[in-house]
Amino acid sequence: MLEIVDLKVHYENPEAPERPIRALDGLSLDLEAGESLGIVGETGSGKTTLALTLMGLVRRAAIQGRIRFQGEPLPVADEARMQRVRWRRIALAFQSVGSAFDPVYTIGQQIQEPIRLHLGMGEAQARVRVAELLEQVGLDRACADRYPHQLSGGEKQRAMVAMALSCDPDLLILDEPTSGLDVLTRSALVEMLSRLRRERGLTMVVISHELADIAHLTDRTLVLYAGRVVELGSTPHLLEDPAHPYLWGLTNAYPLMTRAKDLWGIRGALPDPGDPPAGCRFHPRCTQAIPQCREEVPVLAPPNPRFRGAGRRVACHRGGVVTLLAVEEVCRTFRNGGQPIPAVRGACLTVREGEVVGLVGQTGSGKTTLARIIVGLERPDSGRIWFEDQELTAGGPEGWDRARQRMALVFQDPYEALSPRLTVLELVREPLDIRGLGTRSERDGRAQEALAAVNLPTGLDFLYRRPHELSGGQLQRIAIARALVTAPKLLIADEPVSMLDASEQAKVLRLLKHLQNERGMAMLLISHNLALVRKVCDRIAVMCAGEIVEEGPAHRLLESPGHPYTGSLVARSRHLFSAEHPNPPSSGSATPSTTRTKEGRA
Amino acid sequence: MVRRRSGPGWAFPARAPWAPRLALYLLTLWGMLTLNFLLPRAMPGDPLLALMDPESDAYLADPGIRERILQYYGLDRPLWEQYLVYLGRLARGELGWSIALNTSVAGLLAEHLPWTLLLMVPSILLATLISVWAGAHAGWRRDTRVDRALLVAFLLLDTVPIFLLGILLLMVFGVYLGRFPLSGGQTPFASYASPWAQLADILRHLALPMATLTLGLAGRNFLLARNSMVTVLGMEFMQVARGKGLPEPTLKYRHGLRNAVLPLVTRFAMQMGAALTGMILIETLFAYPGMGRLMFTAVAARDYPVLEGGFLVAGVAVLLANALADLSYAWLDPRTREAPCPT
Amino acid sequence: MSYVEVAQVRSAVHRLHRRLGSARVSGIFWLGLGILALFGGLALAAPWIAPHDPRAFVGPPLAPPSPGHPLGTNDVGQDILSELIFGARISLGVGLLAGGLAVALATLVGAVAGYRGGTVDAVLMRWVDAMLVLPRLPLMIVVAAYVGTGLPVVILLIALLGWPAPARVIRAQALAIRRRAHIQSARLFGAGLGYIVRRHLVPELSPLIVAIFVGQAGRAVMLEAGLAFLGLGDPTAKSWGLMIRYALDSGGFFFTHRWVWWLLPPGLGLTLLLLGFALLGMGLEPWTHPLTRRHG
Repeated sequence: MLEIVDLKVHYENPEAPERPIRALDGLSLDLEAGESLGIVGETGSGKTTLALTLMGLVRRAAIQGRIRFQGEPLPVADEARMQRVRWRRIALAFQSVGSAFDPVYTIGQQIQEPIRLHLGMGEAQARVRVAELLEQVGLDRACADRYPHQLSGGEKQRAMVAMALSCDPDLLILDEPTSGLDVLTRSALVEMLSRLRRERGLTMVVISHELADIAHLTDRTLVLYAGRVVELGSTPHLLEDPAHPYLWGLTNAYPLMTRAKDLWGIRGALPDPGDPPAGCRFHPRCTQAIPQCREEVPVLAPPNPRFRGAGRRVACHRGGVVTLLAVEEVCRTFRNGGQPIPAVRGACLTVREGEVVGLVGQTGSGKTTLARIIVGLERPDSGRIWFEDQELTAGGPEGWDRARQRMALVFQDPYEALSPRLTVLELVREPLDIRGLGTRSERDGRAQEALAAVNLPTGLDFLYRRPHELSGGQLQRIAIARALVTAPKLLIADEPVSMLDASEQAKVLRLLKHLQNERGMAMLLISHNLALVRKVCDRIAVMCAGEIVEEGPAHRLLESPGHPYTGSLVARSRHLFSAEHPNPPSSGSATPSTTRTKEGRA
Repeated sequence: MVRRRSGPGWAFPARAPWAPRLALYLLTLWGMLTLNFLLPRAMPGDPLLALMDPESDAYLADPGIRERILQYYGLDRPLWEQYLVYLGRLARGELGWSIALNTSVAGLLAEHLPWTLLLMVPSILLATLISVWAGAHAGWRRDTRVDRALLVAFLLLDTVPIFLLGILLLMVFGVYLGRFPLSGGQTPFASYASPWAQLADILRHLALPMATLTLGLAGRNFLLARNSMVTVLGMEFMQVARGKGLPEPTLKYRHGLRNAVLPLVTRFAMQMGAALTGMILIETLFAYPGMGRLMFTAVAARDYPVLEGGFLVAGVAVLLANALADLSYAWLDPRTREAPCPT
Repeated sequence: MSYVEVAQVRSAVHRLHRRLGSARVSGIFWLGLGILALFGGLALAAPWIAPHDPRAFVGPPLAPPSPGHPLGTNDVGQDILSELIFGARISLGVGLLAGGLAVALATLVGAVAGYRGGTVDAVLMRWVDAMLVLPRLPLMIVVAAYVGTGLPVVILLIALLGWPAPARVIRAQALAIRRRAHIQSARLFGAGLGYIVRRHLVPELSPLIVAIFVGQAGRAVMLEAGLAFLGLGDPTAKSWGLMIRYALDSGGFFFTHRWVWWLLPPGLGLTLLLLGFALLGMGLEPWTHPLTRRHG
């Protein structure tokens, strides 16, 4: 029904005519009758420009590319011919409904306008149709005689939809249909829209930055970043298992009630549309950019079966989010005087670029052993480990050694991990000294930078202190700085905060997450404390008696634990006073069981 | 409240409810009356006493007029008593006695007012039509040649002093082409064959002053109209209307102009003062027998009661124009008609 | 000039440059400024440029243009060109003085009302509303009839009746500025009224004040000409408006060509001067919306 090939819309830039504002740069898509396509992207990614282009409403811009609608080219630059297309064949429910209605006419008059013009109805007939339309979108018939200022935001939004549907358009475009609405109004509106879609078999394009709207209203989704398509695929699969690092970051930043993680956006900001970066436009913000990303524009690759769902296409030189670390069926058994003690039993784990994975389990579950195996301090009995597409288990120690330049381990106990003889400066510089990277003064500089990054002083006085003069929190920061100084891609932190009090724990953990976000590293966070880990992790793996018993997105795992062990971990850390506590502060109301019954009733 | 400003004109707060507005008008009227009362009494050098002083240049030789003036101003009584008497007289429609013409000011005003209305009402209406139409057109065709040409033309009309514009029209159409009379409201001492002949004579005399006033006022209002149109055209609902596939005339007039007119109503009412200024200058130039001419001759004769009366009439006229603008604004903008429903 | 003032002037100039970046705006602006500069130069250099003392009776009355008197002489034999050149001083001077005074009053009332808000604002604005409906010229005529028509009276009258409309604009802007976060944060840091007015309010209002001054000066020139035309000008300071009045008063005026060299030059001078103010005002217009520009 709609086919767009290599659409470019470049607005004139009055401040700098030689640098047009590239709102859309090579967009291609196709849409079949009855289908609903979602378009996702941050503000400024070119979503609204696409809608306006399809309506022929773009002004002062150069439009290139081919748009075919129902088999014929769409004359987007021909005002007279577009007049016959607008609303009759393509209708757009405009974005900011607050100012989208003419203040001096009633809602009914404004909905009637296109009906009488395009369908040639008389006034009486049009009135009846307006009333029907209003009822279809869940508004009172009386709204027809109200003025825009007398309607609430949600009502205006519905009236806008009624107006957009008034001439039975072949294609309905919804531009941010729920922006500025509260949660309840929004969900009612989305429900109404999906009902209308079912009843009328609408062909729709839904433009939104609200992933929830996209999820409810569309079959396929196209992800725009700075005017270019970065990903395309079936909506549920795409949102569940994002391929492009941008969408991956976007879904991770999306607030959900069940998501306990703190909100961290994608690092950096959308580029200046007048002066976009060369190569992949996302590369300055990407955690896995390689030199090719800075130079070559990635094209939308053919469907990749690596990702869940059919027709998943991604425009990324690295083929989507890359798996940084893969642990497959790793086993390790210790022997205590001939008695085999299985520490790790067939553990599987993956960490992707830029991801924070929590490895949770009680003491003795084998977490630390697994971490030591990953960094090569222990050799596994069986199983395989990949890091950056190198199978470490296949080669000798040199492979591990090379890999360790790109991964770092922060130990549980900083007192133990930091030599008491060395000064702060020497401690942080040590990894560089060992590898002999750069000159002495360069190494000093990098060490000081690392110290500053972990919010420690860099004055001479501090640099020449020794561990015994420092607090636990300071020592742990030094341990982190030590790990960071080589700029690793993967940071493995083994109980990095368990020796600290709650307040210092919070600070150090936030610092870790902040550094991870800014530097775009991946992190494997090992802890027994589920309540703490969920604050920073995208995914959580639960380990019990040497096995990974459950693994999944943090919010899903916490909301509906699949394994009884996970369930008990979640339940135990739910409240300060648990049900098993001998002296609950008051009878009942704060205990988990009561809360659950309450939820059940509501 | 940050008011949107789109030109060199500023208006009353248009959306205030009517009761405080009425109070404001009454207060302003009272202020004007009081100012009118205080002005002659507060002036340095006591110009009124000069009228009574045989030594002064301004001495009124006629004892009858001297008596009437003394009585009118009541200068021998306490101020508050003078004030009450003044208000009482006004309530009865008495505006005093003309020094120069030895007749009642109210009668003089009643005699000259129709001429002024005949000049001003059509001029204001015509100027409004021209400026709104041209302004809307220029705004619609913003930054095109038409827009530039209209801008230059109306900018010139706005910057030429209105009396110079009148002189030029007078010279071209009155003196060189001889099509129109040079002065007056009708041919003096003429006897007419029919009322139609008299009407034609009056209209011939009216043509040049009216053209001058119309052009001058249109020049003032054009930029306001254009800017208002430009502002409206930039609004979201215009894009929606275009998106609905509406034809251009509907977009331009039904949605664009209809909204652009709203702020103009109050702005134009504020221009009443400018219309009065223009009227006085033009009547003076064309020796047109209206209020402006009356005031001009009264200035020369230091005929204070006539000047004060003229000022009062002018003030009331401006107040009425503003009140009318308020009413029509409420009629034009549904948002001011009732409080929004809390839905 | 203190350091702060220098910095403010610099930033104002900087902003001006940025605003006037686009060619069309700067065209209008420079044209207006050029016209005003021309008249300013004329007025300042009048004694050196003018061929005669404008008050001296230097020729036969009503002489047509000649090499000695390029624009001829008036009814008492004064040189019209010299009158014209010296008249620029009066017209421009009245415009600048009355405009400046009106803007000062408008800024005072507007900034106080906008910044203080509350009752002060309400009272001041009702006063402004009332002032706005006073018919300006009729009131001026009445007052001038009583007080006389000296130049200071004319200037004072124009200013006293001119400030209310711009006060409203300045008040709206001051109100908007007051609500802006950086002023509020300055207040939270304990900045006093004086500091905020000096450091924030006045600098941020200054483009608007400049634009309003230009507009008011133009209006003042126009009003003075109107008053003079009505015979309410200062006879000892012959402005262009007064020259037109005298030209009209000389008998048989319409039936000679005299108006071409006597009336038209001051008329065109006035038109050009007003055009200069109007163009400069239009050129400054985009610069006066600091709030709508970026900060929203």
